Amino acid sequence: MGKKILIVDDSESIREVVSFTLENAGHEVSKAFDGVDALTYLDGKKYDLIITDLHMPNLNGIELIRKIRVIEEYKFIPILFLTTESQTAKKMEAKDAGATGWIVKPFVPEKLLEAINKVAR
Amino acid sequence: MEAFREKFKEEANELISDLEQLVLQLEGNKTDQSIVEQVFRVMHSLKGGSAMFGFTLIDQFTHLLENIYDKIRAGELQVTEDILDITLNAVDHLRRLIEETDANFAELAAANKKFIVRIEQVLNQNSPKIENVRLILDDEDVIRKTKTYFISFDPSPDFFQDGSNPLFLLDDLCQLGEAVVVPKYSRIPKLNDIDPTECYMGWNVILTTAEGINAIMDVFIFTNNRSKIEVQKLSDINLLADKSYRKILAETLANKESIVIEALHSLTQDLEKIHSENETLIQRKSSASGHGRDQTISSIRVSSEKLDDLINWVSELVTIQAQLSLFAQQNHDAELTPISEEIEKITRRLRDDVFSIRLIPAANMVTRFQRLIRELSQNLGKDVLFETKGTETELDKNIIEMLVDPVMHIIRNSMDHGIEDTIDERVANGKPATGKILFNAYYSGTNVYIQITDDGKGIDLAKIRRKAIEKGIISPEVELSRKETLDLLFLPGFTTAQSITNLSGRGVGMDVVKRKISDLRGQVEIETELGKGSTVTIKLPLTLSIIDGLLVRIDDTHMVIPLNSVYKVYEYQHEKLEHAINNLILADDERVPAINLRKHFNFETPPPAIERVVTMEYNDHYIGLTIDEIVGEYQAVLKPLGTMFKGQDFFSGATILGDGSVALVLDPNKLVEQFAKNEIKIGG
Repeated sequence: MGKKILIVDDSESIREVVSFTLENAGHEVSKAFDGVDALTYLDGKKYDLIITDLHMPNLNGIELIRKIRVIEEYKFIPILFLTTESQTAKKMEAKDAGATGWIVKPFVPEKLLEAINKVAR
Repeated sequence: MEAFREKFKEEANELISDLEQLVLQLEGNKTDQSIVEQVFRVMHSLKGGSAMFGFTLIDQFTHLLENIYDKIRAGELQVTEDILDITLNAVDHLRRLIEETDANFAELAAANKKFIVRIEQVLNQNSPKIENVRLILDDEDVIRKTKTYFISFDPSPDFFQDGSNPLFLLDDLCQLGEAVVVPKYSRIPKLNDIDPTECYMGWNVILTTAEGINAIMDVFIFTNNRSKIEVQKLSDINLLADKSYRKILAETLANKESIVIEALHSLTQDLEKIHSENETLIQRKSSASGHGRDQTISSIRVSSEKLDDLINWVSELVTIQAQLSLFAQQNHDAELTPISEEIEKITRRLRDDVFSIRLIPAANMVTRFQRLIRELSQNLGKDVLFETKGTETELDKNIIEMLVDPVMHIIRNSMDHGIEDTIDERVANGKPATGKILFNAYYSGTNVYIQITDDGKGIDLAKIRRKAIEKGIISPEVELSRKETLDLLFLPGFTTAQSITNLSGRGVGMDVVKRKISDLRGQVEIETELGKGSTVTIKLPLTLSIIDGLLVRIDDTHMVIPLNSVYKVYEYQHEKLEHAINNLILADDERVPAINLRKHFNFETPPPAIERVVTMEYNDHYIGLTIDEIVGEYQAVLKPLGTMFKGQDFFSGATILGDGSVALVLDPNKLVEQFAKNEIKIGG
């Protein structure tokens, strides 16, 4: 079953390669270029999963999650980080903000899909 | 991926230009945190993308450069002219790096190194604390030791509610290294009280990994705070490396759910002691190798008679246990049934363990032949394909060890004398250019057969005869049968090769092979066809006589068909079989000859309305056996048949069923051979 997934990343090539991977696996993908842009997508649309970068201009990943979690219908949506960061402190910060999981870039397509299947219902 | 790479290159060039601009801005405004933040982010994007799209040099380089700006961001470094200088140079350097290809990689890598040294200087001189920068670069050089950890994981009852699955976490743990995972059941309530949305399970895990405790904690980082997770280092060595330790650890985990950690710690101490004793033993052994036969702790030698006895007793136990199960089943005794089931379980494990002590699959020796053939085909310049069949056939370990040399010799002969010297010779005879040697192992009756077949020249019987007369082995007037002539090859000092090569034909050939096979109580036979190839067949007794079989019934008689020859089972109405022309039945749209065992063995009772046909593969054709009913799978302990059955080749033995009755074990090959001779032409 394909999922509706929102990708948030300021790098176009990363957005492209992630959406390419996901679309090939049968998912439906929307792409946002930063946190502020991502919030406009959430308005009125129902997603199954959000994948976001950590460092982005305007609104970074952690700030984005905090903003998402106060929206009633997105309280429990799985949110995955896809980032080059791997420090535990960063992960803890992300978890406290409400993240569901963490994928480290560079990613292997299979691993990414596996991680998605683990969190998206 | 290539398209994305191009896209990233465009993007990277933009990012590099951004970086250049930002650095110039920073020059006029050295304390502006927002610019530093942006510089950091741009570098981060560069790093992430380059790692993703395989620009390793940029990845390496920006990682380091990023460190500088991370320090500045954290207030540990000040923006200096020097740093700006380096960054601007770095911008130019990055522009070259983005053009990284296989051709210029070495050159760029060298330039990269110089830059990295400069950046390291900056990092070190401003903050002597960061000595680990080198470590990041030379990550592979850091030798990590595999250690053993204990993890106790008790998910909170509401664990499933946010869609989490504890099994995924266990999966992630197992990917870190080797793990023994044992479930904890104690929290599971009575069936009536179970709420299916709650998680009652817990797990204890012993994990050996080189990744370190942080990597383990990382797995659980996104687990809710209500779940109980405990990670402890058990030992600095890999406790799972030894199979016996693994077993002990798993048992301890299974038996002691609550006080497991104390038990594990004391166990660990014991195991570490044994381990270090073993280490010193091994060291002592290697330092004083002259001492010869030191015992090793992990294995002991037992005489094969003792093993044979053990196997016999277990066979008896299996038979008696089958009786007990049947008795318990018939009596519906509430107390006896669980006991008998427990005994059945234990017996099965005991039987498997005991039998597995001696048996190993033929595949174990096949790799050695594969290498031999590879080497020989290079040395001899012959193109030969090695095929194997039946490598899962299990043989006694001793037999396999003693078989390797003779089989190697047979293969050498096939390669040297069998396969034609040139491709032209093969093609002229209408054969494929690539020669073929087939290794085939199979059971038939109470024997194991190993066959080496080549599709080469074959053996010229007239030549053998000439040679034998020449050597004075036989006198010219003696008439020999085909088999007798071929048997000459096994005589000491007989070789037909014109020139003695360094591979075979040294005159120590087939007689040694024959002697070695005889030592194993086996027989060896050669069959050949001139121009087509030869087959050497080694027949060995099966010291262990237990087979997986299909238990079938005809009238009131049970029979066992070895499972390794069964292909498929079909059902037919009796009339259809009765009226089949030439005994040919239609199975999956193919005509298959069927042997009606009911007729064959002269059962006089009327057959059931629906009969079953078990099809088997025989010489690349299928052939069916008609029987009344399939009873099920059965592990048959083969017992030899008495002298009364001496003439009945198609039974390889008998086995005792649970109710004490006897079932005959069919030898399908023999049965089909006999039947084919009398009644049908297979594949006609």
